[in-house]
Amino acid sequence: MRTSGARLSTPPLTELTQVSGSETPAITCRNVWQVFGNNADSALKEALSRHETPEAAAQDLRGKGLIPAVQDASFDVKEGELFVIMGLSGSGKSTLIRCISHLLHATGGEIRIDGENIVEASPKRLIELRRKKLGMVFQHFGLFPHMTVAENVAYPLRVQGVKKKQRLAKAQEVIELVGLGGREKNFPRELSGGQRQRVGIARSLVADCSVWFLDEPFSALDPLIRRQLQDEFLEIQAKLRTTIVFITHDINEALKLADRIAIMRDGKVVQIGTPADIVLRPVDDYVREFSKDVAKGQHAHVSSVMQPGEHHVYGADDPGLRQDMTLDAALARCMELYEPVPVRTDDGKLVGVVNPADLAAALQVEQG
Amino acid sequence: MASLSKGSVAALIAAVVGALCLLLESSLPWLVKFPAAWVLPATGWVGAFMEWFLALIKPTARAFSALMFYPMEAANYVLSHTPWPLVICATTALAWTLGGVRMALMAVVGLGFVLASGYWPESMNTLALVAVSVPLALIIGGGIGILANEYPRIRQPVQAVLDIMQTVPTFAYLTPLLVLFGFGPVVGLIASAIYAAPPMARNVLLGLERVEPEIKEAAIMAGGTRLQQLFQCEIPSAGQQIMVGVNQCLMAALSMVIIAAVIGGFDDIGWEVLLTMRKAQFGQSLLAGLVIVIFAILIDRMSGTLTQDRRDRHDPRVAWGILALGVLVSAAFWGSVQQPGNYGLFNPVADSVDRGLSSFTSANAEFLTALKNNVLFYVLLPMRIGLDQAVLPFTWGFAWTPAMSAALFAAGAAAGVVFALRGQVALGIMLLIAAGMLETGISQLPWPFVLVGAGALAWVAGGRNLAVLTVVLLGTILLSGLWERALLSLYLSGAAVFACAVMGGAIGLASAVSPGVWRVVRPVCDMLQTIPLFVFLIPVLMVFQIGEFSAFLAIIAYAIVPMIRYTRHGLVSTPEEMIEAATASGATTWQMLKDIRAPYAAPSILLGLNQTILYAFAMLVIAALIGTTGLGQSIYLALGQADVGLGISAGAAMAILALIADRMVQGFAEERRKALGL
Repeated sequence: MRTSGARLSTPPLTELTQVSGSETPAITCRNVWQVFGNNADSALKEALSRHETPEAAAQDLRGKGLIPAVQDASFDVKEGELFVIMGLSGSGKSTLIRCISHLLHATGGEIRIDGENIVEASPKRLIELRRKKLGMVFQHFGLFPHMTVAENVAYPLRVQGVKKKQRLAKAQEVIELVGLGGREKNFPRELSGGQRQRVGIARSLVADCSVWFLDEPFSALDPLIRRQLQDEFLEIQAKLRTTIVFITHDINEALKLADRIAIMRDGKVVQIGTPADIVLRPVDDYVREFSKDVAKGQHAHVSSVMQPGEHHVYGADDPGLRQDMTLDAALARCMELYEPVPVRTDDGKLVGVVNPADLAAALQVEQG
Repeated sequence: MASLSKGSVAALIAAVVGALCLLLESSLPWLVKFPAAWVLPATGWVGAFMEWFLALIKPTARAFSALMFYPMEAANYVLSHTPWPLVICATTALAWTLGGVRMALMAVVGLGFVLASGYWPESMNTLALVAVSVPLALIIGGGIGILANEYPRIRQPVQAVLDIMQTVPTFAYLTPLLVLFGFGPVVGLIASAIYAAPPMARNVLLGLERVEPEIKEAAIMAGGTRLQQLFQCEIPSAGQQIMVGVNQCLMAALSMVIIAAVIGGFDDIGWEVLLTMRKAQFGQSLLAGLVIVIFAILIDRMSGTLTQDRRDRHDPRVAWGILALGVLVSAAFWGSVQQPGNYGLFNPVADSVDRGLSSFTSANAEFLTALKNNVLFYVLLPMRIGLDQAVLPFTWGFAWTPAMSAALFAAGAAAGVVFALRGQVALGIMLLIAAGMLETGISQLPWPFVLVGAGALAWVAGGRNLAVLTVVLLGTILLSGLWERALLSLYLSGAAVFACAVMGGAIGLASAVSPGVWRVVRPVCDMLQTIPLFVFLIPVLMVFQIGEFSAFLAIIAYAIVPMIRYTRHGLVSTPEEMIEAATASGATTWQMLKDIRAPYAAPSILLGLNQTILYAFAMLVIAALIGTTGLGQSIYLALGQADVGLGISAGAAMAILALIADRMVQGFAEERRKALGL
């Protein structure tokens, strides 16, 4: 993982650009700290100078009655990537997204958006960034109660001084995109939860943002609406391909949406990886505990239970298994089989065998 | 009893100091009566400083006064020269827009009454004052609220200043204003703006603080500048709370404009009440009082609709129609609408009220006097000067003897021991203290006992800081020579608060138990809360004449409302689940009340008590108009003599008492809330 090298000390900028290759990542976080309490700035500096590891520094801060809500978070988000930050409540994920969107001023570290360090940006520049580049969706929608749907959606354009007719026309487009056509004149209180969040999504999209923050956007909705909105969200993302930082506490949501997932615990980022990484190679018991609840059949692949090698004995049946099939798909093909079956690459080359009983057992254990 | 609780320790200390004071009373008289020689001439110092300070800013003030003269004159001219049909129709049109048919009817009937009473010109004068002072208060209060929201560092000092502005009795700052601005309506105007700004500031701040964080964040992320965030998102989102502020601001301004009438110099409706009261024309005075109440209710209900969540939309064409009607009528009867003060439809009624009243009082003289005297002799007087002096052969039929004192103490001690043995040490000691206080009387309590006792109580309620604050502030009163008057005020308000707590608690309980009772009590409470302070004096004065008893009744009538409301609210707002759990456990209605509802309601009831105390102090000063002794009287006298030093010092002493009581009760309430995990 390319972020692992950046944990202990602040690397110079040259090293950063090397790490991420020639292309500048959309978002770069390096050793980001957010500490709450009195004189957090100086306390953090002192703690970092006194201790080698972030853990020890955090311990020190806690001892002084300060709250290190985000500790030494480092990662990159590529352009167009859907990056999910997952953790339980109190893990610091909402604080972290607020640092990146600069709703909170990070106590320490570096946050770059398209190469520009926003921790040091002037208030004026921040307003400009938010108008042109950043969009955000909130858990409880954050709709303005005194504005209609159309006015809410058009508000980011209004603050920029766009003429009323123009901004309402643009708002209309986005309202259609999120499927709220016909509701323009309603007030937020007259809408259902799902509809309100559509307004929130539309508002964050109206100014054509290139970096999109979503803070638990679907958590306050009931399960059916949630799934529907997740699907629509993926459709929108397929159209727009913006860079996304998405916060959730729901592992299934994270696995469904993410290109990559960062898992947070007690203010620390404990693992960053693709959905399959998280499910198959959890770094510790905490992450494993999460993936326990997951329907692994959909995320784990045949390769995880396969006996690799070309010299195994297998039965007469060949149900056509491939290495990258999900366990669910593989099991569906081996329903009636008891003998080991071959696993092949797409061009028919044998890479190993799988005992159908192992497939079932893998699901059994993990789901129980 | 190896380790005593905090409360027991505090009670024990107070009891020991009290006992020492009583024992040493004869040999060391300075323990009871603070020697005059020790008193610092603080009143004089404050006076001298204030006079110097006031002289310094007087030119500015006078210039401001001259400046305010123009809008006042303008408002006055417009209101008093607009033909009354137009005023009534405009108000009705506004009422229609705000609240539909009901509100419009209320406006027509209310203003019709005002017109018929013949107090139209005076009412318009009052309204003119309100019309100028309210925008002033809204701007000042709104500004303070917004600034306090923008700069969290000044939030706490601002809250403290607002607290003080609202606890210092209204009369107290009339005196310096009088010196600053000279006699005239501008004083009333400015006093009412000062009095009405804090509720606005508080509500604006509260509203802005309560805007959902995500709404604020959404405004930031939309790329708004700070001003855009504030004025386009946060303030509109806080609209409802701000409207509550506007409503309270209006009511406070009206109340103060009427109180300021005691300065005189402006022919307004408050002055009319005062004048007729002084002439003992109670019928007329009641009529003028009713006019005030009508304005209060109209203003309250009309502005109250603004605070509602979802308002019905009312057809604006109807409003325009009503307005057009007003113009038409005014034009058609131009000649005959010029003298609205000449109507006197209710004068015969007022006269017959007067006649009826005198026949009522003479017919029931015996009963009324008996009521008054019984309360005075058997309740108020013993509380004030103690049983040892209040029990006389003349009133009680026997004289108080040392043996009786001994018996009283013995009874107190015995009860105390019983409670102590049952594990309630603090309660036991308090009983003993209560016996001592009953014997001595509040106004003659030895000052070391009051200091130590109050300090101990504060320590239990809010820890060491509050105890220190309490002792220091009370010490200031002691040193300034206002001690005796302060104790007198404490006694009267204490007696009134006690009565309110008992009666209000009972009424609140009854309202909680029976919805039928609440249906009757609720409109009465609404009514009592809308009526400006001043008007409470009229009915008690009508029946009981000038004196302490009337003041006592007026204070109770005003201060009982929060006690009723909070008690009921606390008792009925027990969570449904707790009720169900108790029912499932087989609790009877009474057990439910005693074991579940009452403990849960305790913090709420304490808050009610707190409000009642503050209300009582506020009314105490107004009640000085009809005869009380103590600080209220001093403030009132200072106003008459333009004695700034006395006015400010007495006002400050009053504020200190209110503040200490407030902090202590809040402390207890907070403790209860914490204990319940609320």
